[in-house]
Amino acid sequence: MGFQQKQHGNNGFEIANQAGAARTGTLQVGDTELETPNLFPVVNFYAGGTSSSLYGGGIHRTMKEFMNGDEVINGGDYSEYFDGVMTSVASLTDYGITKERYEEYIDTPIKERDLFDFDGVLFVDSGGFKFLGDKTLDGSDFEVDVDQRAIIDIQRKLGADLVLNLDRPIEPDDDYETRVQKARMTAQNVDQFLELTNRQKQTRYLTLHGYNYSMLNTFLTEIEKVIGKDRVHREFDGVALGSLVPLKDNKGKLITAVSDCREVLNDWGFDDLPLHILGISSSAIPLLAAVGADTFDSSSYLHAAINGKYHTSLYNTEPLDDVDFSNCDCPVCSDDKLVNWMKGDAEYQKDKLGAVSMHNLIIQKEEIRRVREAINKSGTDGLIEYFEQSLSRHKSMQQHAHRVVNDSLGGYF
Amino acid sequence: MSTTKTPQVNEVNEFLEIASDFEDPLEVIRESLSNSYDAGATEVEITIRDRPIGSEIVIEDNGEGMDYADLESFFDLGNSTKRDPSSDAIGYKGHGTKIFYKSEEVLVNTSKEGTNLRAQMEQPWEKLNNRVMPEYEVRERSVKEGNSGTHIRITGFKSGRGFSPSSLTYNKIEHYLKWKTLAGSTAHYFTDDYHEMDVYITLGDEIDDTQGTLKLNNKLEFPDEQIEPGEGNFPESRMCKHYPPRELTVETDDGDTATIEIVGMIGGKDARNELPTYGKHSAQFGIWLAKDYIKVERVNEVISHDNEFLHFFFVANCQDIELSANREKIRNKSSAIYQAIKEELSHYLSKIASDPWFKDYLNQRRKAKLSRRAKSQQSSVEDREKQIHDRERFVPSNDAEVVLGLERSNRNGVLPEIVVEDYDPDVEVNALVRQDGSLYASSIHHKLTDHFGADKPLEAVDKIICWSYGDPDELSELERHGYHGGDIAFDLNAGRIEYQNGRKHNIHIVSVEQRF
Repeated sequence: MGFQQKQHGNNGFEIANQAGAARTGTLQVGDTELETPNLFPVVNFYAGGTSSSLYGGGIHRTMKEFMNGDEVINGGDYSEYFDGVMTSVASLTDYGITKERYEEYIDTPIKERDLFDFDGVLFVDSGGFKFLGDKTLDGSDFEVDVDQRAIIDIQRKLGADLVLNLDRPIEPDDDYETRVQKARMTAQNVDQFLELTNRQKQTRYLTLHGYNYSMLNTFLTEIEKVIGKDRVHREFDGVALGSLVPLKDNKGKLITAVSDCREVLNDWGFDDLPLHILGISSSAIPLLAAVGADTFDSSSYLHAAINGKYHTSLYNTEPLDDVDFSNCDCPVCSDDKLVNWMKGDAEYQKDKLGAVSMHNLIIQKEEIRRVREAINKSGTDGLIEYFEQSLSRHKSMQQHAHRVVNDSLGGYF
Repeated sequence: MSTTKTPQVNEVNEFLEIASDFEDPLEVIRESLSNSYDAGATEVEITIRDRPIGSEIVIEDNGEGMDYADLESFFDLGNSTKRDPSSDAIGYKGHGTKIFYKSEEVLVNTSKEGTNLRAQMEQPWEKLNNRVMPEYEVRERSVKEGNSGTHIRITGFKSGRGFSPSSLTYNKIEHYLKWKTLAGSTAHYFTDDYHEMDVYITLGDEIDDTQGTLKLNNKLEFPDEQIEPGEGNFPESRMCKHYPPRELTVETDDGDTATIEIVGMIGGKDARNELPTYGKHSAQFGIWLAKDYIKVERVNEVISHDNEFLHFFFVANCQDIELSANREKIRNKSSAIYQAIKEELSHYLSKIASDPWFKDYLNQRRKAKLSRRAKSQQSSVEDREKQIHDRERFVPSNDAEVVLGLERSNRNGVLPEIVVEDYDPDVEVNALVRQDGSLYASSIHHKLTDHFGADKPLEAVDKIICWSYGDPDELSELERHGYHGGDIAFDLNAGRIEYQNGRKHNIHIVSVEQRF
């Protein structure tokens, strides 16, 4: 079995350099190119994202003002940090909206809305992790049954560039039978997903779920049983590994899951496909990139800010009140107005925390840029040196940094 | 009115103080080797004899010799000509040679650039103790150019208690020199200034007559590498991996920098035994901090606690550590630079400890241990097989075997059939058994007395199932004293316990042995 290079469309993934299992590359989605490894910030387009919510939307609204470079955030150009963003169809479940609002929201593709000046890659996930329980998208006066067809409909209406099938994430306590059952349900969705989507128009990612080689192998076997070997190998532009959020604080298990995933993909002949890691970001990024992850999505930049945490690096935060903003030369911290916001001199809390979020995102994006540069240096020395200067200097990360250096980069000695 | 005063130093006391720090005659050798090396010697001969007035130590080298200034700094305190701490010279504090003052006589005969100087100091130790500054007399004569070198004779050296030369052996001296002096130097791994120096040690026959002169070099050398495990019961014990010389740079928050030059190995017991020993393995392995490439003190705390330091042997040289006069201790432990050195070492060692080879080595150890355990299990299986052959019939030796015995009696058709439906050895009522269609809460034990030994209550139990009754006297005592505050009577013939604690309760006793 071998992955066949795609013959059509502008979509594709090209590997530029490799350092051990780590790699840099270019993900082409339509007219947009994304350097990998890269990070898709999670953006909530609904909150503060319709003309009728112009004065609401909280921190999400401020983030979109940064995305647009609006005057209210002093007109800076932050578009480079939004070269790709992720949004979830499930974000609607957070708001008890009316049917009218729902239809208005999905009425126009996001990139075509006057409200946003966004032209990066729009990754719309399927929300599988949120619909797991009730299988409905609840509004205040309506319900949408969530099935693969409904999800694709929303993804399409939002103008997604990159889409995922509706999946059934596993949990760490699931037994074998439960996992297989979920894989079969996902496989049914995948079957429908392939029929209902058009690869010419959207980049399609297959979701995988498993914490080690055997689990992932079982999962793929179940998918293959339903949709056939041929289609498994021909129809996808990428793979997204899910179900890792419950393991987010256990970096050892995350590394195992991702490196085993890479191994399974290699053994299945999917080695040329980009690998996205769903829901995991921050300090795990360099470790997982080192074992072969290509893209990530992150809302941690927002959550940190909401909890009053200002990132001083990918691995460290400081309480907002203790921060000396002059130590950072990012565009947010170099803008007096935004610094004043972060110091608390803002009319709305959303502006204070929105500016912190933007700063946090910049820290994450800059770090992943450094990871790319390290991989691009010849051999594995660049990436080893990167770890030497970064994660391996942190006691809690040290063993994980050493592990990926030993397992994926040829070791120190 | 104001006056300016200069604090005074009592020079005699200073000399006494410094010289008193040294007790071991071997420290004399350590200092001499360093001096000879600093003088560029390629050979040094040391002779030690045990004389009635104390030990006699003669040190002779082919170094560049001393001139007047050198001789002065040899005898002066704190006046080393080797002033530049950044040079590769080992002594620069001017303390080391003061150890020679603890003697009856110091005689230095040295030739440098065609001039021979002969310096003699008599009774230095006695004079110092009488608070008199000892003097030395120097005589000069011309010699042929090119015949440089130094000959030092210390007569009547006062060893401290327990450091008498008579306790020396060639073996002891070799290990000491390799462990604590430049004979075990790591300089050859790092610096271009290093030069080889052969060391010859001769002990008087009255000290050790088991061998002739001992010859050593001035290099620490590790046992040969053996990456793969060996054969036998302890396959890991000769495994050994070298970690090549590395330079680590550290910087404090204040911007002070230091360089650490580290080299080392990890090895099993047999590999470690090939190194010179200096006491027990637990006293000598781990991470050594060194100055002038000579080991000073261990910093085993830089190895994370989940790794046994015993497998590690690393020497980390750093010229920025400061030593006590006798070179036994590091003085600047509270400095920022020392802390930074430790942090960097801790980081470096974490990389070593993560090396897959080291993991494999530990794994080999573990596997060997398991395999030794499996062998002992095997022999225990054999023992048990023999017991089965030897006995005439089934005899249980624990509670679980009583359950098996009961089932076996059922199979043999013994009535009434008593079937164990549920067995949980961890709870007080450990079994539920079925007899004639009804379930009974039961306590299954090897012996009846075990139920009482375990202090289990009787109220919730319908049956006690046992192989045998145990010690009848124990049962009688229970009848005499009661159990848990109630009266108890055993009617073994009827297979019944009558228990009265508030209300009356009969418990059925099943002896499995009787069902066979």
